[in-house]
Amino acid sequence: MELALGVVLDASADAARTTELARQADAGGLDLVVLRGGPDTGLDPWTAAVWVAGVTDRIAIGTTGFGPPPEHEMPYPSVVEKARESAALLTGRRLVDGEPWATAPAGADRAALEALAADGRTVVVPVTDAEDVARLVALVGPVAGRRRTAAARALRRAGIDYDGVPASLAATAVEPGDPEYLAVSSTYLRGGAPGLVLRPETPEQVADALAFARAHTHVPLGVRSGGHGVSGRSTNDGGVVIDVGRMNRIEVLDASRRLVRIGPGATWKQVAAALDPYGWALGSGDYGGVGVGGLATAGGIGLLGRAHGLTIDRLRAVELVLADGTPVRATADEHPDLFWAVRGAGANFGVATAFEVEAYDVGEVGWAKLGLVSTDLEKSLLRFGEVATAAPRDTTVFLVTGRPQRGQSMIQLYAIVDSPDPQVVVERLQPFLDLGVLVQQEAFMARYKDIMGQAPDVGPEGHHGQGEPVSRSAFLPGITPQAAHDTAELLRSGRVFFFQLRTMGGAIADVPADETAFAHRTPAFQATAMGVDQADLDARWDRLAEHFDGLYLSFDTDLRPERLHDAFPPEVLARLRELKRRYDPDALFRDNFPIDPRTTT
Amino acid sequence: MTDYGHDLLFGTFLTPSAQDARQAIDLAVASDRAGLDLVTFQDHPYQPAFLDTWTLLTYVAARTERVHLSGNVLSLPLRPPAVLARAAASLDLLSGGRVDLGLGAGAFWDGIAAMGGRRLTPAQGVDALREAITIIRDLWDTGTRGGVRRDGTYYQVVGAKRGPAPAHDIPIWVGAYKRRMLALTGEMADGWLPTLEYLPDGVGSFPALNARIDEAAVSAGRSPRDVRRLLNIMNVRFSATGRGVLDGPVDQWVEQLTGLALEHGVTAYLIGGDDLPTVERFAAEVVPAVREAVARERG
Ligand SMILES: Cc1cc2nc3c(=O)[nH]c(=O)nc-3n(C[C@H](O)[C@H](O)[C@H](O)COP(=O)(O)OP(=O)(O)OC[C@H]3O[C@@H](n4cnc5c(N)ncnc54)[C@H](O)[C@@H]3O)c2cc1C
Repeated sequence: MELALGVVLDASADAARTTELARQADAGGLDLVVLRGGPDTGLDPWTAAVWVAGVTDRIAIGTTGFGPPPEHEMPYPSVVEKARESAALLTGRRLVDGEPWATAPAGADRAALEALAADGRTVVVPVTDAEDVARLVALVGPVAGRRRTAAARALRRAGIDYDGVPASLAATAVEPGDPEYLAVSSTYLRGGAPGLVLRPETPEQVADALAFARAHTHVPLGVRSGGHGVSGRSTNDGGVVIDVGRMNRIEVLDASRRLVRIGPGATWKQVAAALDPYGWALGSGDYGGVGVGGLATAGGIGLLGRAHGLTIDRLRAVELVLADGTPVRATADEHPDLFWAVRGAGANFGVATAFEVEAYDVGEVGWAKLGLVSTDLEKSLLRFGEVATAAPRDTTVFLVTGRPQRGQSMIQLYAIVDSPDPQVVVERLQPFLDLGVLVQQEAFMARYKDIMGQAPDVGPEGHHGQGEPVSRSAFLPGITPQAAHDTAELLRSGRVFFFQLRTMGGAIADVPADETAFAHRTPAFQATAMGVDQADLDARWDRLAEHFDGLYLSFDTDLRPERLHDAFPPEVLARLRELKRRYDPDALFRDNFPIDPRTTT
Repeated sequence: MTDYGHDLLFGTFLTPSAQDARQAIDLAVASDRAGLDLVTFQDHPYQPAFLDTWTLLTYVAARTERVHLSGNVLSLPLRPPAVLARAAASLDLLSGGRVDLGLGAGAFWDGIAAMGGRRLTPAQGVDALREAITIIRDLWDTGTRGGVRRDGTYYQVVGAKRGPAPAHDIPIWVGAYKRRMLALTGEMADGWLPTLEYLPDGVGSFPALNARIDEAAVSAGRSPRDVRRLLNIMNVRFSATGRGVLDGPVDQWVEQLTGLALEHGVTAYLIGGDDLPTVERFAAEVVPAVREAVARERG
């Protein structure tokens, strides 16, 4: 019989000891701490109970023996009610009402405890020191996976077979009542409340997680690496998340060929830092916090792009676990079709567990962040279109702007010039300075790792996203006067708070279109617009469609089916669908531009 | 030039938002980790979008290690003095002496009345606060024998048992703006805690208001130094060009805070905005520079 045990702590004893014993009971897997007041109890019961909830992670907390306060010490009932609601929210409903437990005498033996527990109640035992608590912890014994209190189990979501979590994943799985839950529920830009987060650390464990996911197709499935997905719904509400964030090793395989093996859970900041000592780099996106898994399966349009191509252009092998749990290695020679598909549409085909890349030599580069105020946005965009594409390929510049204010737009430029010569860097940046009035400039020689390193580390509290990002994306063959005009108009509407142009061309365009599932090789720019209301943004963005040539899927949150056709030209989509039928016939992978294997359109 | 010579305290002035409870906790934990001295939360029990400030404060105290915590300021009309005294002393004991007590006479009387609280005029509010502070200190004073008996107009305690005694001398800081409340602050509080945005002339208000507190302190037989001057600054941000108080580059923040300390004797700064990067930058770049500048000037 599984015994649910708790401790009774004397709340008048010294505060530090109360804290310590409550923590011990919590860590040891006991179910309940009861704080007992008495005639000489100093502590305020509410404050003490909330305190104990704060110093523990999962255990439930009750109080007994405090008695009602004297009349002049009565708090307002409305405030008491509010305090209860707040505590429920803060502690995950761990403060229990009433006294739904049975109390055993101190030192009661197992038989006595079992007798008291016969009616299903938690049995609490008075304790005074660590030894007492340890005795109870030993009686409860170790449990498979982790032990969850009744309060924690009450937060489980419908439709998930929690008892069926594969043994290999039970110890690290996180569910809503767990202390780490908040840290794994949101992603960088999205709030979520998944029903279960599985955290595999090996391809075998990924296969176990996928077996569990195959039995749960009635709830959403998200695949997560670095948690920076925009189009990729790597968190959800009430579904399953497979989080490979812990698979984050970075290992040099062959220094002579600059061949590096990278786990999907690494961030680009970590990758840049690991390659730097060798004098190498691997272009990623513009933000070092982004994860390898999501970006290296989609494209990777970054600030070394014109000089060295997309991130996926440097992949030499991808290892992934397919929907049915089979591990495969895809290279130009092994499963070449899959290797093609994973470079641009990877999220549809499996969970990538390792990437092998060929890095390149990169020394000091010129790095600049320029702020320019423009009173004629249209003209500035047009001019940017000219100079950014005319620049030599060692120069990649991204443009960001937001809502114009009082007729003025703040334009931010982010630039890398892949040259160790400051003279060249200055020369390359010069043409960009007349986009507006220069009000801010930061330009220096830097290592790629320092540029990626500007992103702060994600702490143990995890990501903080809330709500849903609202974003649209497109490729632009160039910036025509009409495109500049319509874009300026869109920004003047005030409904787009973030607009970015990522410059492509150069080495990106050297690669033939049929080389990878990322087939849009010729556009000059990738554009992203973020707003607050999807329908509103869709209506406005759709109006610009004549200027577009497809879209980069990573930045588009529109769920209308036409978007799939924008992401993949017809012959590419047809080939992908064919492969989807082969590798994921039941469409298990569906959190990021899902391709339906059943239809033909 | 008035410098009362207190050590400097730096902290945050946070919103106890229920929807963003997580953010409120993260900001508090980050403040602690970044080495700030104080985390404070607004208290508006009648505001449905907010958490109960005392519960949040307690929970946050349990999840932090060094930082002090305070309501900023707790609403006396909805928190009877005896309840406050015992709760504050309890948390002070549990947290190892990390509780400070910011108190206000009440604002938004409609909200207070809707929660079942008593509606008072401003003058009554001052008297009620005076009675409350006396009772709170009596209850903390376990060195004196016998129960506490106070038969006030607003609060009556009849032979209440003393204790618990807090782990440290909990300072009582009062949110005050008007003449009578400032006088009460000088007469009996350990600190004055206004919000910059509510001062009639912003920073320019300090000479006159400080003088009022100083005067009241002296006539009560205390020293002006017995009253620390604290300040909430709600709208802050780091920006490239200086636009206002704590709205500009780091250097300007440093200069402004140093000026507040040396010219107006304001030695505790609590920033609003609920923005993690701003809090971290404040702690990393502004705090050490202000400490250094003030130490240098004080010699
Ligand atoms: C601030 C910011 C800046 C960005 N800048 C750029 C940029 O400059 N250039 C650019 O190209 N992109 C950029 N991106 C887009 C980014 O590349 C994608 O959002 C990417 O999916 C994030 O990867 P992740 O692992 O962090 O995300 P996650 O949220 O972990 O994953 C996102 C999606 O990727 C898929 N996925 C994740 N892991 C795996 C895996 N192991 N195997 C298979 N599929 C997986 C899933 O569909 C998942 O939903 C940026 C995003 C942000 C938030």
